[in-house]
Amino acid sequence: MEIKLEMLTKVFDNKEKGLTTAVDKLDITIPSGKLIGLLGPSGCGKSTTLYMIAGLLKPTEGKIYFGDENVTDIPPEDRGIGLVFQNYALYPHMTVAQNIMFPLENLKVPKAEAIERAQEMADLVGIGELMDRKPKQLSGGQQQRVAIARALVKKPRVLLLDEPLSNLDARLRLATREEIKRIQRETGITTVFVTHDQEEAMSISDEIVLMELGIKQQVGEPQDVYDKPDNLFVAKFLGTPPINLFDGHIKDGKIMIGDANIGQLKTDDKEVIVGIRPEGFSLTERSSLKVEVDLVETIGRDTTLIIENPTRKGETFRAIVDAEKRIKPGDKIKLNVKPTKLFVFEKDTGELVN
Amino acid sequence: MLEEKHNIKAWLYLAPAMILLLVFTFYPIFNAFFLVFLRDFNFLAGSFDGFTLTENFVYILNKPDFKKALLNTLMIVFVSVPVSVILALLISAWLNSIKKLQGFFQTIFFLPYVTNAIAIGMAFAFLFHRNYGLINTIFNWIGLPSINWVGLGAGYWSSMFALLVFIIWSGLAFKIMVFLSGLQSIDKQYYDAAKVDSTPRSRIFTKITVPLLSPMIAYITITSIIGAFKEYTAVIGMFGVRLGPAGNDGALVTIVALVYEAISRSGSDGAYSEAAAASIILFAITLVFTLINMQVSKKRVHF
Amino acid sequence: MSENRKPTLSKKEQAARKQKIIRLVIVYTLLTFVALFIVTPFYWMILTSLKTAQQIDRIPPILFLKPGDWQLRNFALALQAAPYARFMMNTVIVAAISTFGTIITTVLAAFAFARINFKGRDFIFMILISSMMIPGEMFVITNFMTVNTLGWIRDQSFIDALAAMSFPFMTSIFYLFFLRQTFKQVPDELYLAAKVDGTSDFKYLLKVMIPIAKPTIITIIILNAMGTWNAYIWPNLVSPQNENYRLVSNGLRNAYRDLSGQVAYNEQMSAALIVTIPLLIVFLLLKKQIMRGVSRSGIKG
Repeated sequence: MEIKLEMLTKVFDNKEKGLTTAVDKLDITIPSGKLIGLLGPSGCGKSTTLYMIAGLLKPTEGKIYFGDENVTDIPPEDRGIGLVFQNYALYPHMTVAQNIMFPLENLKVPKAEAIERAQEMADLVGIGELMDRKPKQLSGGQQQRVAIARALVKKPRVLLLDEPLSNLDARLRLATREEIKRIQRETGITTVFVTHDQEEAMSISDEIVLMELGIKQQVGEPQDVYDKPDNLFVAKFLGTPPINLFDGHIKDGKIMIGDANIGQLKTDDKEVIVGIRPEGFSLTERSSLKVEVDLVETIGRDTTLIIENPTRKGETFRAIVDAEKRIKPGDKIKLNVKPTKLFVFEKDTGELVN
Repeated sequence: MLEEKHNIKAWLYLAPAMILLLVFTFYPIFNAFFLVFLRDFNFLAGSFDGFTLTENFVYILNKPDFKKALLNTLMIVFVSVPVSVILALLISAWLNSIKKLQGFFQTIFFLPYVTNAIAIGMAFAFLFHRNYGLINTIFNWIGLPSINWVGLGAGYWSSMFALLVFIIWSGLAFKIMVFLSGLQSIDKQYYDAAKVDSTPRSRIFTKITVPLLSPMIAYITITSIIGAFKEYTAVIGMFGVRLGPAGNDGALVTIVALVYEAISRSGSDGAYSEAAAASIILFAITLVFTLINMQVSKKRVHF
Repeated sequence: MSENRKPTLSKKEQAARKQKIIRLVIVYTLLTFVALFIVTPFYWMILTSLKTAQQIDRIPPILFLKPGDWQLRNFALALQAAPYARFMMNTVIVAAISTFGTIITTVLAAFAFARINFKGRDFIFMILISSMMIPGEMFVITNFMTVNTLGWIRDQSFIDALAAMSFPFMTSIFYLFFLRQTFKQVPDELYLAAKVDGTSDFKYLLKVMIPIAKPTIITIIILNAMGTWNAYIWPNLVSPQNENYRLVSNGLRNAYRDLSGQVAYNEQMSAALIVTIPLLIVFLLLKKQIMRGVSRSGIKG
């Protein structure tokens, strides 16, 4: 089921804060059968968007289509969606089986069939043995699976997940994100999930939608967005450790950081912001980017050099280089910049300079 | 959807409670303020002779019974509240310091809470019986003469004393309960820290326990004061509708007792306005304490 | 040499231990005295209810009775002196009506205040909360007039008496507040999840909110029923004529109102015990529920 958001806008009227635009003219098409991550910092409007797709919030403007059907004014129960909440929202007084069967009760599914379907779903998410437990007796990961089973049991057209991993500890998070990916593949259901964790979004999404301040920043496959950020925000938000930023300028088609020429770009002379991914550096004998190493962190195969930012006083930048050559703090080195890891942004708008 | 207002639906849910509250709570409040301004209102006849601003208040304030009731009520407030609060505080601190038998004592101390005030009031009256009561028996053991506490012709102070003992006994359970749960929620770290500094126990109690419990102490004190201003059932339980020892009828009358006494004279002129005036005076007194309570409990209760 | 190796307490430790034991002895002694103070009225009630008239007249009073000497006949006499079975039945009926009514009205209203968005919600709730500070005596005047006007006092039938005793107590702002607090603690997501599944508000209340709020509801039932069992003033006011319509407290006081004349104290105390025991049994059965409920609700039922 393809989901199409057209000029979707949500304005909240808050007594204290007045009008706030949570989502601003959002245009997205979510392809059928894919797993899409809605990504952004908290307060960027991603959860509001999810709730509008679910039908729990009414858009101020714009339309929502499931396939060709305009569902904008259809109540949530008639949209055919399954929704998993951040805190799972399991009914504490019901067993796992009763929780999973609860949506079917409203659809007047016969009891025997309901039991069968609940078991089927429980098996799919791997909690088939726990049907008689109460939510309190389950681990966070198991509760999460019950919530997914409950969302899927009525065979929704769309599965929506709100921060599905944020209540799990680090180890469970890894396992569960693989699990979500597997369940999504097996069912082939169009899935939208919301997260503020870029690593989480990058690792399992077929496509990510990056939002800030209610506005869509970039849409695409995770690696594409990482490799070709449209603007400074996207470049900064994706990647750990984050991208290094320098105040640079363009002179005669050369990208300059101070006196060092680190690349070529055919554009007018101007002040720019230069972004270089930490892995975009390499050690070299011949470069005009000469720096002194402040600190060295060696973790496994990577050596991270922490170096004073030549253009921003008091700030440092990170360069990840091969561990082969031993480098000590205080060493003077020369760095080369890989053109594919180098991005130039407009100083005022933050847009990528082509 | 979520943010939409559902006025009709909400009022369907509210209707049963609201109708009852309107009839039995809100209308009576307004009506009390209406009745108090009627001159010679007769409920059974349904008649009255115009309006008056102060006559009913003046009448009740000048009534000898009212002065008696006010004095009795103040006596109950200013003796029973401090005594029971301090006792409850000590008892709960003792309870909190033991492990074995804590549950047993707690259960015993809670018993007065689940007791019918009339039934136990009668038992108290008999406990204070001049000839057959346990109190005088104990008095005789230790060489004191028997006292006519609550019997025929008993004096004011002895019967007031017996009443106060009963009221304090009845009020302990709830206070101990609240204080104990307060004590149990105090972080043990404070006590550990005090121990490290080798603080004496009495100092720990006055410098750590009481201050940390102070919101609860304030809450209990003020609600107890309000409750004590409304005392009536205890008097009925011990002395019956005569509100005092036989031969000294009405000696232990309270403000609330006056309200009910007036209501029971439904056929007489001005009785209901008198009741309204008494209840409004009571309201004014309790309002002062309630406002104090609200200031205090703002920290405690989250609406 | 070997004696020296035995672990011996330093003088300081010994003193501390001694002090601790002394302190515990004092605390337990004090607590025992308080317990005796609390229990004495009950003991006196039970003891008196088991004495013969002659034993009552003994001075000084008999403080212990062998089980063989117990005058269980007193209970039969007490039950004959006034129709206690009838009083108890009346009390149970009134308690059932008012408790049932209270639960229905407060659950519905608390749900509206906790969950439904409607115009003036906060304002109305504030009015309700502030009216809690008005003493009940102020309502009683008009409520007595109201039940009179409704024809429940004059030529009172049993139904009239029941109506007069229960109707004013079929809802409670305090319990409404108490329930709303409980409902508010249920996470919003549960409601949203139910909405997504097409659950109606009423079904959500019935299937999710009420089961989750069960401990609170049970507390309210217990406190309300206890309140009716102990109610004296209002029932006495609205149902004074017919002895058959009385509740237990009224029956007790009205049957033995005289302290000076020839009172059969043993029968009186038997009657008091008959009224006290059901409540004590309920308490001992539901001890945890009641004690937790009371410390949470902070009021006397």
